[in-house]
Amino acid sequence: MDSRSHMEAAPDAANALAVRPEAGRSAGRSARPAAECAVRIAGLTKTYRSNWSLKTTRGLEDLNLEVQRGEVFGYLGPNGAGKTTTLKILTGLLKPTSGSAWLLGEPIEHVRSRVRLGFLPEQPYFYDYLNGVEYLEFVARLSGVGGREALKAARHWLGRVGLGDREKLVLRKYSKGMLQRLGLAAALVHEPELIILDEPMSGLDPFGRRDVRDLILEQRERGVTVMFSSHILPDVEMLCDRVAILLRGRLERVATVGELVDGAGARIEFRCAGAPLVELPSAWSNCLTRTQRAEETLFTLTDASQQQAVLAWLVSQRVDVRAVTPQRNTLEELFMAAAESSAIHAASERRSA
Amino acid sequence: MNAVLIAQNTFREAIRDRVLAGMVIAGLVLLGLAQVARPLAMGEGLRLTVDLGLSSITMLGLLVVLLVGTSLVAKEIERRTIFNLLSRPLPRPVYLIGKWAGLSGALWLVSATLGLALWGVLAMLGRGAYWAPIAQSVYLAGLELTVVTALAVMFSALSTPVLSSLYTLGFFLAGQWCDDLRTFAQHAPDSLRNLLEFVANVLPNLSLFNMRTLAAVGETTTALHLSLASGYALLYCGCVLALGAAAFESRDFR
Repeated sequence: MDSRSHMEAAPDAANALAVRPEAGRSAGRSARPAAECAVRIAGLTKTYRSNWSLKTTRGLEDLNLEVQRGEVFGYLGPNGAGKTTTLKILTGLLKPTSGSAWLLGEPIEHVRSRVRLGFLPEQPYFYDYLNGVEYLEFVARLSGVGGREALKAARHWLGRVGLGDREKLVLRKYSKGMLQRLGLAAALVHEPELIILDEPMSGLDPFGRRDVRDLILEQRERGVTVMFSSHILPDVEMLCDRVAILLRGRLERVATVGELVDGAGARIEFRCAGAPLVELPSAWSNCLTRTQRAEETLFTLTDASQQQAVLAWLVSQRVDVRAVTPQRNTLEELFMAAAESSAIHAASERRSA
Repeated sequence: MNAVLIAQNTFREAIRDRVLAGMVIAGLVLLGLAQVARPLAMGEGLRLTVDLGLSSITMLGLLVVLLVGTSLVAKEIERRTIFNLLSRPLPRPVYLIGKWAGLSGALWLVSATLGLALWGVLAMLGRGAYWAPIAQSVYLAGLELTVVTALAVMFSALSTPVLSSLYTLGFFLAGQWCDDLRTFAQHAPDSLRNLLEFVANVLPNLSLFNMRTLAAVGETTTALHLSLASGYALLYCGCVLALGAAAFESRDFR
């Protein structure tokens, strides 16, 4: 999509993802027992305080969220939105300033909430003096798998992520992509019921990304709940049942991918030959734009109800219409629009303050 | 169970680290040098061998603690390897205990190896009967290093490797003069006495683990001394690790 039509599409997309505080509050008010959800977060807030300046920074603000058992849940947001903060709180690496959360019905303060959890941190690091099998066996045993089963599972999962022929290779000799694969195997080696992955596609080539997608789909088939954050939106769009969008530590929206994309409204593109000398009627100035390309002209209509009228008008102007194509906003466009909208909102808040 | 897993892994890490092998080699070289210098010791060659052999166990062990122990936890936080452990059903205190136990185990192995080498040299010099004082000294040195390791692990969990090294070294040096501090407190003005006694109680009484002078003349210590030293080491390590675990429990890993 060229920049002009993107700019035109942005208001629609921003509307689709407009700040809806009530959207995230459902978990906080929900009467649903925590045990029924794979993840339940109620009023989670995290502030960081600098040791030197004592200045506080907001990492997460009153987050309410539920992830149902068996679903693949995407957690989106730009850098610094609070995605990793949320995932680290859920996995016990950060302590929340306030609020509560449960994993598979267990409060996150209890170590047992992590028995059936598999976690892949962002850019994982491992003990470089161990080899792949030793590492996987070690972490499997930490998660409660017995000695012999742990070794068996370690070998199985090393092979499953495509590293089976490098059993004895020490981890300091692994490439970044290999480490990412090993991290995934470590998250899955004890066959958890809930998997939390922080940027699982990061550092992977297209083959690696495909393998990760397959693994996530395979886990969904097994009934495992998968919650993952990612910047690679096409993957999120392809895999997720629902997505949550987090901006500046606040939950902006939770919806199915279909709801988000359909809610944003479609647009229709009219591809026409050459560069017709026509002037756009003022009645359509808000919904029809024109983009000149090398050998064609593209008219983009954001109001689908005007499709027939615009087509009739183009024909009446003797424009050679080659194709009329309905277009759907991608999750990426929606996300970018929401981020821009939030930035504008934050700037206006600062100005008014 | 998980403490044992962490301990095993820490032990494995220490064993695969070149520092540990380097220390054993350095200890053996020192023993060899002592034999070369023996003719210059004016009849005190045996004392020199025993003293140097036993001192090298403590000093080289301390060097391992300063080089490895003080970054044991801090390195895991810095390299983020700790994320993969604490996101599992592993309580933080158990993690710290495992780290301490693993490195202590490796230090016991180094102490035993160097102690055995020392006894071998003494046996070659016709003093194989020194095995009992050597074994007792090595045991006490192992206890001393275990206490220092507990301090290093606690500092490592709360501070940077450089600061942890400084704190640990400071406690080790101050701990050597703990008895002198207590004696000094007896003669200090009332206002200062309580403070000095408090400091003397907080510092590890490391002179309790020193029987090198006795061992150098082939004498053994009492079972009561060994029991007291064992009990004290266990209690001190417990207190230090409990303190470290309490502070580590609330720590954020960003």
